[in-house]
Amino acid sequence: MIEVKSLSRHYGDFLAVDQLSFKAKQGEILGLLGPNGAGKTTTMRMLTGYLPPSSGTALIDHHDIVRDSVETRKRIGYLPERVPIYPDMTVRGYVLFWAQLRGTKEAKSRTDMVLKQFDLYTRKNTLVRHLSKGLKQRLGLAQALVHDPPVLILDEPTIGIDPQQVIEVRDVVKELGKQHTILFSTHILTEAEEICDRVLIIDHGRIVAQGTPQQLQKEIYSTQYYVQVGGGKTADVRALLQSISGVAEVSAEKDGFLVKSTANEDLRAAISTSIVSAGYTVLEIHQRRSTLEDIFLAAIKAAPGAQAGKKAKR
Amino acid sequence: MDTLTIFRREVGSYFTSPFAYFIAAGFLLFCGILFARDFQEAATQTTTINPAFIPAVISFLMVFFAPLLTMRLLAEEKREGMMELLLTSPASESSIVMGKFFSAWFYYTILLALTLLYQLVLFAYAPPDIGHTFLAYLGIWLYGGAMIAIGLFFSSLTENQIVAAFLSMITLLILYIGDAAGQVIGNIDIARVIRSLSLQGHFSTSFQVGILRAEDVVFFAGIIVLMLYLSIRTVESHRWR
Ligand SMILES: Nc1ncnc2c1ncn2[C@@H]1O[C@H](COP(=O)(O)OP(=O)(O)OP(=O)(O)O)[C@@H](O)[C@H]1O
Ligand SMILES: [Mg+2]
Repeated sequence: MIEVKSLSRHYGDFLAVDQLSFKAKQGEILGLLGPNGAGKTTTMRMLTGYLPPSSGTALIDHHDIVRDSVETRKRIGYLPERVPIYPDMTVRGYVLFWAQLRGTKEAKSRTDMVLKQFDLYTRKNTLVRHLSKGLKQRLGLAQALVHDPPVLILDEPTIGIDPQQVIEVRDVVKELGKQHTILFSTHILTEAEEICDRVLIIDHGRIVAQGTPQQLQKEIYSTQYYVQVGGGKTADVRALLQSISGVAEVSAEKDGFLVKSTANEDLRAAISTSIVSAGYTVLEIHQRRSTLEDIFLAAIKAAPGAQAGKKAKR
Repeated sequence: MDTLTIFRREVGSYFTSPFAYFIAAGFLLFCGILFARDFQEAATQTTTINPAFIPAVISFLMVFFAPLLTMRLLAEEKREGMMELLLTSPASESSIVMGKFFSAWFYYTILLALTLLYQLVLFAYAPPDIGHTFLAYLGIWLYGGAMIAIGLFFSSLTENQIVAAFLSMITLLILYIGDAAGQVIGNIDIARVIRSLSLQGHFSTSFQVGILRAEDVVFFAGIIVLMLYLSIRTVESHRWR
């Protein structure tokens, strides 16, 4: 449904998106995960026809975004990073406007349908400027969906709304993913894992890793354990932890240690057994999820040829 | 079709925005005050009533009101990020620009129609020449369209409404004064060129005095087409930045 072919974009001399290629199948939710400035928005703007690529192209439902822009635009619903509003329009007027502009058949009944779908129907006569941020986000989704496009492009739809609304939006996206092909950008790791069928990790406009959340979990994420030990000298305990098979690295952190495993197997039992049998006590042990930072480091190490020196500043 | 959708939304926003009502009130108030003065003078000094009085007043008023009507049209869309959604919809740049232009011209037409009330007063006391009145109104209608097109163009150039209004005001003022400047300059050829380029020069000596000249209609229509073309081009260029 989406086929991106070595898409690049320069801003002046600055290369924001570097030869990106990927595909998304019908009904797939593809996550674009990356830190600020990774090139997520730029990529999406090229796919939606707002920015022309410097080179390369993409196909949306077999239509070329460069040569056949209007056809591709008809097939895309787009939620920009910031939902733009006409402050003095009503909720219904706003959605109806986009429905008509995109040539929706039976625009009025479609509008009422999506308003109901997003729980906005009871507020259909509210002025858009009076909506809360979370409701505006839902309005943005309603707008993107009103013409029933096969492809949805959502740029960080959960940013800046409260946790309850985040969960709602995620559920909505998961539900939509059953029928639509969705390209979804985020810089939140757990979100990408939770929602997406497949995740592309991008940094500096390049793909540094990709796969299903499970695959990434296996290949890229290193599991870490925070361990706090009672008794024993720091150096001794450290040596002890280091000697456990499956441990890659031990570093001090706060009152305890951070233990990195080499493989993705659970080391908690092995760690606690060896601590206890050495005569110390386990005060605390827990598994820690890798952060985006860790993943970038791992991914950049794992991807040969990637510029390891140019890590994103955050 | 898309032009119509944009047009309808835009007209709707003129009728829901308090700012548009302020503009209308100011516009009608100015016309009314000046008309009342002229009417009084005409009544006391037995000078004849000029049916083109109000259109002549409007030709000057619009130097300031046209920019207020047009400044937000495209500048605001860009600033609010609305342009991104518009340009990613299947609507073409030209339908976006034309929808905006016709909505402002439509709003202006309504204002103009409201000033006809003043003319009705004249009919009650001293019936003016209907042909002359009609031509003066036709002229100021086209003139206003050209001014709105110029304002729209400046709105397409910037994200800042104030800058858009300021630039179009200055331009419109120059195009208004050009007529008078043409009259002051000694060299008759230069004067003729300057006058023929000014907007006012195509109104004050023809429509305003009840003469219909094809060249004036063509001039105003030409300005509108040219300005719309340039605005469409500017909007298109946003895509390529
Ligand atoms: N109009 C522009 N002119 C110049 N540089 C730009 C422009 N837009 C984006 N950039 C740069 O391109 C890079 C990629 O930006 P982009 O907005 O695509 O990142 P992003 O992944 O969406 O980041 P975020 O998570 O902050 O939204 C950034 O370094 C940004 O500064
Ligand atoms: Mg972004």
